[in-house]
Amino acid sequence: MLKMQNISKIFRTELIETHALRDVNLHIKKGEFVSITGPSGSGKTTFLNLAGLLETFEEGDYFLDGVNVKGMNDNQISALRNEKIGFVFQSFNLIPDLPLFDNVDVPLRYRGFNRKERKERIEHALETVGLSARMQHLPTQLSGGQQQRVAIARAIAGEPAFLLADEPTGNLDSMMAHSVMELLEDINKQGTTIIMVTHDDQLAKRAGRNIQIFDGQVSDINLDSSDVLVKRA
Amino acid sequence: MFAYNFQLALRSIRQRKYLTILMVMAIGIGIGLLITVQTMAYHNQKMPLAHKANDIYFIQADNRELGADPIVRQPFMIYLTHRDATNLMQGQSPATAHTTVWKSDIILNSLSQEVRPFRSATTVTNSSFFSMFDVPFLYGAPWDAQSDIDGAPVIVLTKESNELLFGGENSVGKQLRINEHAVTVVGVLDTWDIKRRFYDESYSTSRHDTAFISDSFAIKNNIMRNERLDCLPENRDKRGFWRTNDIQGLINSECNFVRLWAQIDDESRAEDYETYLVNYVNSQKELGRFPREMNNFVTSLHTMVTLANELRSGNDPLSFIAPLFFIVCLLNAIGILLAKFMRKTSEVSLRRALGANKAMLMNQYLLEIIVIGVMGGIVGCALAYLGLQGMMRVMVYQSDYSVTIDNLRHAFSLDLWMISKAVVISVISTVIVGLYPIWRIVNIAPASQLKSQ
Repeated sequence: MLKMQNISKIFRTELIETHALRDVNLHIKKGEFVSITGPSGSGKTTFLNLAGLLETFEEGDYFLDGVNVKGMNDNQISALRNEKIGFVFQSFNLIPDLPLFDNVDVPLRYRGFNRKERKERIEHALETVGLSARMQHLPTQLSGGQQQRVAIARAIAGEPAFLLADEPTGNLDSMMAHSVMELLEDINKQGTTIIMVTHDDQLAKRAGRNIQIFDGQVSDINLDSSDVLVKRA
Repeated sequence: MFAYNFQLALRSIRQRKYLTILMVMAIGIGIGLLITVQTMAYHNQKMPLAHKANDIYFIQADNRELGADPIVRQPFMIYLTHRDATNLMQGQSPATAHTTVWKSDIILNSLSQEVRPFRSATTVTNSSFFSMFDVPFLYGAPWDAQSDIDGAPVIVLTKESNELLFGGENSVGKQLRINEHAVTVVGVLDTWDIKRRFYDESYSTSRHDTAFISDSFAIKNNIMRNERLDCLPENRDKRGFWRTNDIQGLINSECNFVRLWAQIDDESRAEDYETYLVNYVNSQKELGRFPREMNNFVTSLHTMVTLANELRSGNDPLSFIAPLFFIVCLLNAIGILLAKFMRKTSEVSLRRALGANKAMLMNQYLLEIIVIGVMGGIVGCALAYLGLQGMMRVMVYQSDYSVTIDNLRHAFSLDLWMISKAVVISVISTVIVGLYPIWRIVNIAPASQLKSQ
């Protein structure tokens, strides 16, 4: 489903090279809920950006839903990202002056759905996150937890195969975090593969599988699946 | 997607309205000045009598003294002496018609106590003038050829001077006084839309004649030419003027002051006219006249106007300043646009993450720029309108109020062509200056701004 083989990512400036990810080998199956943990600066977000096709990589191969993304051009990558991946960010990243309906509409526009289909998908997604009554509200009129629910609605409206969440509860209090986590679990139960970066060990434990990243190197800790590669330098 | 991008463009414009206003004003001011200058040039460059501009020819033969200035401004120099113009008209030429033009100032007196006499810029010509130049008449008709021979006391008024003298009513048959001579009105011109007054080589859009009298009447009644004359030394005073008020002496002198126009219906016959002119000058050289080398010109009206336009446009400082000013405005617009767009980096990153490719974002921002360009064009048109109104009043002031706003309106009006041009220039230039900011923003790494929001 998501397969990385010998992936490396290096950030270069004129003076220094930083190896953000080194020789990553990973296989995530359809329907898994994977948490990514690790200390700050270890490469978690870089890994997520790479998995979400927001970053390029120097070496290795990356197969997303069976498609090798290596060598794809911007149009192909954007289309693949739009179709296969939904993003949930720590700071929600909603467009503040657009109503919830229009915020959820953004990825669907780029997907090329017609008006009727977009409307159905938006209403369904907002209903899923419990905000169908507030479609015309602006994000600023909502609490943090509600805003994150809108972000989740935006991520799932296109029915992506993967939902990538970068600290989705990082800006929320524990009650709201709990509620958002439950929502993600529900979405996962419906078949969406979720990869979630978190600092919270309790939340990480709720995922079926935990991957830790240290200094750009990946290791599986909770081995529910038999074919996970563990690699240490 | 177009409708969606259009909505986004309007949203962005509302969102950063002060930056948008600044940018629209920067473009609008530049366009305003540019279109003001271009509109004046556009009206100036319209071809008078376009339908027969290749059939009417200006005839020039250089009879100036040996040390005279070289010919660098052909459309504005070299006239004929009265006798050369008369000889050329009366000879066996290939032209189907000729007319002469020279200028005089006369005092027009309506004989009514209620209308004060006024000084009139008058064209002295012959009856062919009106048919050659398709002059439209509101009342009456030109004087006839016999009046040219007799020097009959007749006058043709313009619509404006008829308004002034007779309140606009049909004045044909009514009496006037020119200086101390009684004349009869035989015709009143209708509005004569020739764009520019080519026939006296002023190429002016502003000053208009107030009356037309016949050459023979002017000579008969000693009505003097009022402009500076190009006389040979023996015929001129220290200021270069004809030395006395003796019109008969003037027409027999070597003073060049008559413009000669010929109608040559077949273009190939123009060469025959050149031969005719060469033969004439050679015959005069044998008599000891025409001291300089042969410099004859048989130039179509079309070519004369084109030459005059080239000379004028090269001398107009505004024609250089306006484009430079516009470029400065556009450079400002680039800075404002960069500031405006670089505030959108987080939204661009988000849209990239949600599936927009570079081309989609480029289209979105291009449309926003086009909307700004259209707004700049509209503001530019409004400013150009104000600029033209101002320039028109400057012209009225410069003419010492001898012309009215109505006389000038045609030369200072924004028509649909210039409005379209303003908007198109604005959009194209805004798109050009917007390419760099757009390129910068669509090439932002998608991941770069997502964490920091």
